[in-house]
Amino acid sequence: MSTSSNRSRTLEEVVQYCESLYEDTKLQCVQRWKAAEAGRRAIGFMPVYVPRELIYAAGVLPVGLMGGSDRVEIIKGDAYYQSYICHIPRSTIEMALSHYLDDLDGLLCPSICDVIRNLSGMWKLLFPDRLCRYLDFPQNFTPEVGGAYYRRELEELLADLERLSGRKVSEGELNRCIELYNHNRELVEQLYDLRAKQPWLVPTIESYLLLRAGNLLPVEEHNELLENYLREVPGSHRRQMDNIRVFLIGSFCEQPPLGLIRTLEKAGCYIVDDDFVLTSRWLTRPVEPGPDPLGRLCKAYLETSTFHSSKYEGPQPKPKLLLEQIARRRADGVVFCAPSFCDPALLDQPMYMRALDEAGIAHTSFKYAENTGQFQNIREQVGTFSDSIKLWGAPSPVRT
Amino acid sequence: MGIDPGASSVKVVVMDYGGGEGEILFRHVERIRRRDPAKVVQECYQRALEACGLGEDQIDYLASTGDGDLVPFRRGHFYGMTTHARGAKYFSSEVKSVLDVGALHARAMRVDERSRVLQYQMTGQCASGSGQFLENIARYLGVGLEEVGPLSLRAKKPEVVSTICAVLAETDVINMVSRGIATEDILKGIHLSIANRLAKLLRYIKADSPLVVTGGLAKDAGLMQAIREKMAEEGQQIQILTHPDSILAGAIGAALWAGFRHEQLVPFQLNAPNLGEVPHGAGA
Repeated sequence: MSTSSNRSRTLEEVVQYCESLYEDTKLQCVQRWKAAEAGRRAIGFMPVYVPRELIYAAGVLPVGLMGGSDRVEIIKGDAYYQSYICHIPRSTIEMALSHYLDDLDGLLCPSICDVIRNLSGMWKLLFPDRLCRYLDFPQNFTPEVGGAYYRRELEELLADLERLSGRKVSEGELNRCIELYNHNRELVEQLYDLRAKQPWLVPTIESYLLLRAGNLLPVEEHNELLENYLREVPGSHRRQMDNIRVFLIGSFCEQPPLGLIRTLEKAGCYIVDDDFVLTSRWLTRPVEPGPDPLGRLCKAYLETSTFHSSKYEGPQPKPKLLLEQIARRRADGVVFCAPSFCDPALLDQPMYMRALDEAGIAHTSFKYAENTGQFQNIREQVGTFSDSIKLWGAPSPVRT
Repeated sequence: MGIDPGASSVKVVVMDYGGGEGEILFRHVERIRRRDPAKVVQECYQRALEACGLGEDQIDYLASTGDGDLVPFRRGHFYGMTTHARGAKYFSSEVKSVLDVGALHARAMRVDERSRVLQYQMTGQCASGSGQFLENIARYLGVGLEEVGPLSLRAKKPEVVSTICAVLAETDVINMVSRGIATEDILKGIHLSIANRLAKLLRYIKADSPLVVTGGLAKDAGLMQAIREKMAEEGQQIQILTHPDSILAGAIGAALWAGFRHEQLVPFQLNAPNLGEVPHGAGA
């Protein structure tokens, strides 16, 4: 089911292509993919994680939905959510009611928060003829309890997907897809490693757009795109700036506008790690292909999924894992960049901040919405944060 | 080198860092006057290199401040507050507070002995505390910018204007002209209106003496006098200082921080993947 183009692009062409995909809010690329072969199906999924291997093995294209950014004006969506709810569910409803998502044959809502759970309910009421599943991920990580539960959840999902595509998933096909996504994770990790090592070569806006492209493209094509970028970028002769290195956390669901990401970089920060588009980085190690691939996917979730606000704390405390990741990336400070009203991100923040204070690591925080258009205040805040680390290694000044 | 592209002019200095003392080798202020600001920056940069007889690779560290996007060849960027605070310390080593009055914004800062900003307050979106506003008024009144200060100092009966909004204040001025109010009195009224907004900023940060005024409006003697009067009216005994190079404070601060960072970065190769290991902090 690959639509691989086999065409090598220049660095600028790769970035332009990713930008065009980012702007494709009406999912025209999904429409083209479906039109290329009769019987193809596509299913949308909300952040943060779904087992894309399983979906793709069933012959269904997994399409990551990350809201309407600042390109979709919300009119109808506001009628479905109170004012104290974040933007992403209302822009998703807006796009669905405005027929932007007509090419999707269903929607998966992972258990990230109550709002996304409610979104699955609304989708069922609004589109009763389309598949919609709320994917409740285990919060218990023992194989006998959480593992057994998750396996049943995946078996039900697989049955739904097989009904949707009309095709039985073989072990061989699932293993093939596991290998494709393993390669995808490896390439994304290479991209993140390169950015952490030489952040001037890989502006975050580019790594972000590359990851966002993976929300829409078949994995084979996304892998080619990543390989293409990684091949081209070392020769880009980009200049190193005297910027601080920051770890960005909190933007895993509703996405910041591109202008905000650019603002952070212009304010003197190299973002050396982040939690954007986590689907492709959720499993931190490859899933081993072999007999019983479904069981292997379950095991990978239990044992190798990253620490996250939507996940119950495992044997290792989350702040400890954050500190380890900060040390690994040699970050100078942390930027808490979370959407307004994002319960998972904002509830974890005090715990992380306390750990950072104890470790003497500088941090700053602000909130955004996906359609935020003014960044002057954020630029001022992050600019002074950057200066204070660079010059004083200490907290930013206080605005009265 | 420090480059400070502002809303109405580009400021450039080349300095010998000299362990933090800093000696200005070249200074230049270029009004943008409806030209492409990026081209003005490029011209200023070339002019600075030529004047100092330096090649691009002989500049140890080029730092931008203000609109840094216009300086793509910069090595680093420092936020305006950080550079104006450093520039103010260059003008007066005793500085405790800084008031930066630029073309579009004004901000007040309280700084420590190392010129580190401790607390600050800025004007919002409204331009009525800024140079652009004053420039517009001067144009309505048909006086040159350099005449504004001396005229204001000669005022006998300042005419009060709106202190809320630049647009309303401009309307006020048009009415005053038609009522035959003397130009000096109109300008003094405008200065007092701006000073009122600036005094509020200083009050918010609990400004200490001495206060150094930086930015383009620092050389407006009429405004400085109005600020002194406002502060005295509020019972604040604060020494207010300016400097002939006040408009260059941002560029000077950028150049001095550039020198500081260069000394920290000397052991590290440009474009080597180890810049992140440079110890930050311990500024000036």
